This record gives sequence, structure tokens and C-alpha cells, in this order.
Amino acid sequence: MSVPPKNNPIWADIVTGRKTFTLKFLAAKILLGRVVRTVSASPTAANVNDAVAQLHAVYEKNAGSPSVKEDLKVIFG
Amino acid sequence: MQQNTFSIAEVEKAIKDGRTLLIAGEEALLQALPQGKWVGGTIPYFVSPDKGGEVNKEQVFVTDISEVAASITVGVYTQDTLGKVYTDEDGCGFSFIIVPAASEVHASFAVNGPNYKDFGSRPLIGWVSGVHLDDLGKVTPKVFDGITGKSFEQEAVVMHVMLPAGKSVDVGIINLFEQGEGDVLTFATDGFAATEVMVNGVKENFADYITKNNLDTKLPLVADYYGAMVNISFQSVEPGGEVKLYAPVFSGIRYKHAQAVSNYGEAFSDQLKKNSPDANSVAFSCNCILNYLYSGLEGNKTDPFVGPVTFGEIAYQLLNQTLVYLEVHDN
Repeated sequence: MSVPPKNNPIWADIVTGRKTFTLKFLAAKILLGRVVRTVSASPTAANVNDAVAQLHAVYEKNAGSPSVKEDLKVIFG
Repeated sequence: MQQNTFSIAEVEKAIKDGRTLLIAGEEALLQALPQGKWVGGTIPYFVSPDKGGEVNKEQVFVTDISEVAASITVGVYTQDTLGKVYTDEDGCGFSFIIVPAASEVHASFAVNGPNYKDFGSRPLIGWVSGVHLDDLGKVTPKVFDGITGKSFEQEAVVMHVMLPAGKSVDVGIINLFEQGEGDVLTFATDGFAATEVMVNGVKENFADYITKNNLDTKLPLVADYYGAMVNISFQSVEPGGEVKLYAPVFSGIRYKHAQAVSNYGEAFSDQLKKNSPDANSVAFSCNCILNYLYSGLEGNKTDPFVGPVTFGEIAYQLLNQTLVYLEVHDN
């Protein structure tokens, strides 16, 4: 499946911690380890948007990776 | 994928045949190699397919990635330029990095790597070069750019690899440690050393805290990065003074001392069995010198993983006491 656009609300749910998933893609996990805490400490719209942009970019630029494909199925069904 | 120890004569032939190689070995051996499509780093410790863990000063450990390298470029990066590692060579499939231990670029990458522009936009995997433990403080770890044949002590060498059509790669880690049930530890600043720690939010002297609680410093601090356990290993504890670490702690990240393992070697073997990917898909792997020492890996195998035993592992960022690997898949 292709990477859903940034405005899909699930991206924001992930970076704000409203939804959690068991992910496989290591770069996303390391990134989320930082940004979820940043957003949690200061959940401004700008911080959420920035975190979503970073997370979306990591998935989009690695769209061919098997672990990315598995994560997208887990997150978006 | 071919990964094994080879004589200099054998590697010289492979380089002259145009193979694309990742090489680990003693400095004098790497210096003797001809120019070609390779990068290397110094270390005499390997886990080889035949002998398992070994100290080998007569041969080098070679990972031949020719099958997954349609083309390559090699870059040498200073601490000021390494921030471009994800943005250089647009379209490359993955980047392989070797950083000399205790260098400026090592310290800089460890602290700043997670904030590099376009972090994670391509797989970044590699290791920190070192020396025989008897030579600590006497010999400086090096990295080699095989294209020019030059070696470096303060710079990182990166091979940017373009994949053939129909291939993709993934980076994985194997870590036997999990967070224990103890205190939450946080730090006010990023760095390889800390004098003070916040224990459940209350400031204490870090060394005194370790001594008072009789923490086993063979067990690392562990941070939970969205389910990925990331270790920070202890280097030294000066009573009442500084605690030195093999990777930086970061402010804002919550650490816990690792859960104790009853038998380090068995726990590591269990993790290998639980997490091992398809052996045929593993193109490269390396393991930490602390795992080698504490697990007693000399003479023991870690199938399907072989490779250099390193002073730090890199899977997007610097890791400790962790096995990292690169998998190649057919799309």
C-alpha cells in the first residue's frame, strides 16, 4: 500500500500518543522515541505538525522496505 | 553474501576483480590493500563462520556486498559535514558508515546523529572501529577510504550504496537487555558523562547512586524508543565524581537500569534464536566488544551472524551492547 498523506489523522494520533502500535521499522521507532516525548511535553499544533512531517517523511522515503510495508498494514489496515 | 576472514592476498585479488567490500582488520593489513571499491576500519576481533569469536591479526574480515551494490560512492566526513550523511547521494539504497572510536566525529555523531537533516530517510548502518584491548591508549583506531587508500583518525568514512533494481534493505538490531523494574533515570544534558542524575525526578550524584544501589555496571542503562530498546553502556564510575558512558545519554529520554540476566551468554543465545532473520537475507552484521567479552564469545558462534566485533554499533544512531544487521530482500 502507498503511504497515506500527512493529513490522515492517524499520523497525529501516533505522535501525540493517542494511538500506539507495535512497529517493526527501526528508524520510525527511534524517531518516535524522541518526538512522542517532545510532543507530550509541548503539544502545540506546530510541534504536532513537525512531528507528523518527520514521521511521514521517514515512511515515504523508505516505502520499499518490507518493515515499512508491514507497519503501514498494522497502522492503516 | 560472502562474509568471512581472508588473507591479504585473497582480498587483494577480490579488490582487483572489482568486488565491493566492507573490511575490518589490523591497521597494517588494511594499509597493505590496493585501492578499490572498499571501506575499512581497524579491529582485530571478529566472529567468523568457522571459528566463531576470535582475535585475528593475520587476516581481515570481509563482507562482499557486490551483489547488492549496483554502484557506490565513498565519502569522508568530518564532525562538521557528517550532518549531510542522509542527504548526500540522493537515491542511494543505504549508507554504510565506519567511525573511529574516541574521535571528534565519534563524539559528534553520537550526540547529534538523531537530529541530522532527514534522519532515517535511508538505512544507515555501520560500526565504530577500535583496537586490540591491550593497545588501548597506545594505538589510535582508524577508518579507511579504499577508493583513495587513505586512512583517517578523526573522520568517518561512508559508502553510499545504490541498490540494483528489485532489491530493498532493512536494518535490524538484537538486544538482550530490557528495562528493569527500578528507578526512572533522567539527565539534564546530553553527553558521554554525567555527574548528576534525576532519580524519579530527584537530583542525586550519579556515581553515588550506582554505588549505593550496588548496580551491576555490566548491565547498561536502557531507554525504550517506541519498543526498540536502546542501551547506554557504562565505561567507568568515579566514586563521588563522574560516570563515563560508551554512548551519550539524552535529556528528555527516560532510562532504567537493565533487568538482570542470570546468564549473559545464555540470554544472548536466546535472543539470537528468538529474533534471527532468514540467514540468507543477512548481508552484514556486527556485534559489540562488550557482548564479546561478557558473553564469552571467543570460540563461540552467533549464527547466522558473523562480522567484526566493534567499539560501538550504528543503526541510524550510535548503539551499545547491541548486534546490528542489514537484511537484503527481493521486492
